[in-house]
Amino acid sequence: MAVDMSERKTDFGPPHYEQFLPPIIKENYGKWKYHEVLKPGVMVHVSASGARLYTVRAGSPRLISIDKIRNYCDLADKYCGGYLRFTSRHNVEFLLTDQKNIDPLIADLKALGHPVGGIGNAISSIVHTQGWVHCHSAATDASGIVKSVMDELCEYFTSTKLPGKLRIALACCLNMCGAVHCSDIAILGIHRRPPQVKHDRLRKECEIPSVVAACPTAAIRPIMVDGNPSVEILEENCMFCANCYTVCPSLPLNDPLNDGVSIWVGGKVSNARHEPMFSKLAIPFIPNNPPRWPEVVSAVKGLVELWAANARPYERMGEWIERITWPKFFRMAGIEFQKEHIDDFKHAGLTYKRSAQLTR
Amino acid sequence: MVSASEVAEAMYKMVKESMGQKKLKPTDLTKAMLEIYEGRVDKATCKAAIKELVNGGKCVYTYFGGSYLEIPHREGAAND
Amino acid sequence: MAGATYKTPKLDELEKGPWPSFVKEIKMAARRSPMANDLLGQLEKSYTEKIGYWKHGGIVGVMGYGGGVIGRYSQLPEEFPGVSHFHTIRVNQPAGWFYTSKALRGICDMWEKRGSGLTNMHGSTGDIVLLGTVTDQLEPIFAELTATGFDLGGSGSDVRTPSCCCGKARCEWACYDTMAVCYDFTMSFQDELHRPAFPYKYKFKFAGCPNDCVASVARSDMSFIGTWRDDIKVNAEEVKKYVDGGLDIINNVVLNCPGKCMKWDGKKLEIDNDSCRHCMHCINVMPKALAPGDDRGACILIGSKAPIVEGALLSSVLIPFIKMEPPYTEIKEIIERIWDLWCEEGKARERVGEFIQRVGMGNFLEAIEVEPLAEMVAHPRENPYVFYEDYFEEGDEDEDEEEEEG
Repeated sequence: MAVDMSERKTDFGPPHYEQFLPPIIKENYGKWKYHEVLKPGVMVHVSASGARLYTVRAGSPRLISIDKIRNYCDLADKYCGGYLRFTSRHNVEFLLTDQKNIDPLIADLKALGHPVGGIGNAISSIVHTQGWVHCHSAATDASGIVKSVMDELCEYFTSTKLPGKLRIALACCLNMCGAVHCSDIAILGIHRRPPQVKHDRLRKECEIPSVVAACPTAAIRPIMVDGNPSVEILEENCMFCANCYTVCPSLPLNDPLNDGVSIWVGGKVSNARHEPMFSKLAIPFIPNNPPRWPEVVSAVKGLVELWAANARPYERMGEWIERITWPKFFRMAGIEFQKEHIDDFKHAGLTYKRSAQLTR
Repeated sequence: MVSASEVAEAMYKMVKESMGQKKLKPTDLTKAMLEIYEGRVDKATCKAAIKELVNGGKCVYTYFGGSYLEIPHREGAAND
Repeated sequence: MAGATYKTPKLDELEKGPWPSFVKEIKMAARRSPMANDLLGQLEKSYTEKIGYWKHGGIVGVMGYGGGVIGRYSQLPEEFPGVSHFHTIRVNQPAGWFYTSKALRGICDMWEKRGSGLTNMHGSTGDIVLLGTVTDQLEPIFAELTATGFDLGGSGSDVRTPSCCCGKARCEWACYDTMAVCYDFTMSFQDELHRPAFPYKYKFKFAGCPNDCVASVARSDMSFIGTWRDDIKVNAEEVKKYVDGGLDIINNVVLNCPGKCMKWDGKKLEIDNDSCRHCMHCINVMPKALAPGDDRGACILIGSKAPIVEGALLSSVLIPFIKMEPPYTEIKEIIERIWDLWCEEGKARERVGEFIQRVGMGNFLEAIEVEPLAEMVAHPRENPYVFYEDYFEEGDEDEDEEEEEG
């Protein structure tokens, strides 16, 4: 396509945020003194000037149509002078100056099908990836599991009855576009079968040196098949990252029988109390069971409610498990401890129990 | 100093010769130019040369697990 | 609307229940978009066969840029022609994800004409994600976006779209102006954002306080976490009000302090600020009574990433404390030195965190001219295999003395 590059506007970056800030924020920028959670999903920030800014937070499926965005815009126009924002966990937030508008706004959001909550000791929206909706290397769907899990856990979004914050994230393969590795509960799609080489297509679709170079563990080797150049996979070296499939569509590793979900627990990113931690493996594998993944949903719900029943106030999942110890966690959760739970990658030895401090 | 256009031409030749064999990253090209034109080319000139190649449509950025510079072509995965 | 009508019994199940349904969203878009309609068809097939049907495209983009567009093609273009092409556009979000309805409607109007009508608000890195369009629409989309003031975000081996928390706009805990810094850095690194020239991606995230609402410590190659170095501000009267209101201050605050730096004698909260670890817990519990001090800045950490290729990493301390004041020259100079080194010596697909693991933090620091500090490690080394680069020889001491005299 011919493009006139001389007239082209490039590299001007995002619009400056200032034009999107409501007047009350511009006037009180950097002057906020404290905030209070008024009820689930509603908080007020109070400025040194005395100004009060009310925030109403609503859950969202992340995958939204322009119709829904326009609905949000209508609400922003109706209640907030046309201003709105989104959170780092895909929630939509409406910023109000008039307290009287809170309940009508919540009613309108409910009518749209969007629950209000996710603030304080609650579950916030699940951060997740694209899954079968858009990703080539997905080992599971993302939106479907998230919807099914949140349907079950919605009451913990719309209330603040949990002992502390709980953050759930889902990534549909090890690439973790969603970087779920530091979540209270991480749902992670995994492949278990190395790529299958489609020799007939590979010749036309892919550059063999690039395919070989794409493998981080050198598990791909060039070979001749029936007189034609192709590749072979050293299966024991494959760690199912799908990078080769990104480079070459003739190496599919998606497989209905072997793809599924693993569940990880006890990660956090905040510095509050305990330092940030990685999530650790709880359940190695659950086969895909669309449309509602009942086994995944019940496992996640079980973990949430086990934690909720036993954790002390403010204690995150990982802090609670660290206190009660992992063997006890496995017993309480009714999860069988297996070979897969023991790390065998770099520095695995650091994860062995190196003392006699054990609970009963 | 060597001009950005001359560097762009040399880079283009490298990309063309490597096509189908090995994909080249912008850093591969920059390193090669710094070596070939020892002392007569700096990184800024290489950057300008890459911009010239891409803006002129002679090369495109591609992504296959990492970013590369290639001659525009129809890719394996493309549908009509 | 033209196109096939699909029976979607499996997806229809996901319209039920209290949580908002992405299937309803796709169906809404499908009323006018054959592309969204065929997405529905293909997705139902995925739900039946338990497998995805997408191919990754690596070439499509807008002229001149190497980032911002992700190529995607269906494996089943005959069966679902509407999603034969289904490319993603990443649009650089405004800092803090604040919008006016006018700006959002502008994007919606463009996307109604030129794409599937489906979006992510927002993607994991922070961009507005426009989900699903065809190759021929990419240039017109770019033209219309830029006309309304929006530019593309990053993808590939480049600076990925920086993101930040809402900071001073709506948070009393912001220890620096996250939105100002995020915008400034995004503007400074436009070339690096749009023209991939690195071994792999490089992410910036800006969190205003140690609560790290943008998960910078886990999800960015360079994490800026706001903090302070003077004393926590205490309003004794408000502390008392919390306690009178039923707060179990001993169990919920004092005993939860990781620095064990707090005491409560029944009337007064005492804080040994020299032992405070700036974790935020006490402030989180009593936001009306406690606040970060006034000498505020950021701790800069480096290197976090997801597992691919060499394993997941959390960021670790690079600069324990720095005032975040424009034009941020000192920080940007360090960044340039890091990029120079990493571009020179990094391997393809090696994130900076992995690069540091490979060459060693000590060597990395030396190369970027940053002094090693005890704050950078959880503890000093346990293994005695030290790679000393020099050793002493007889007469060395005399030479030193001579130099001192000279």
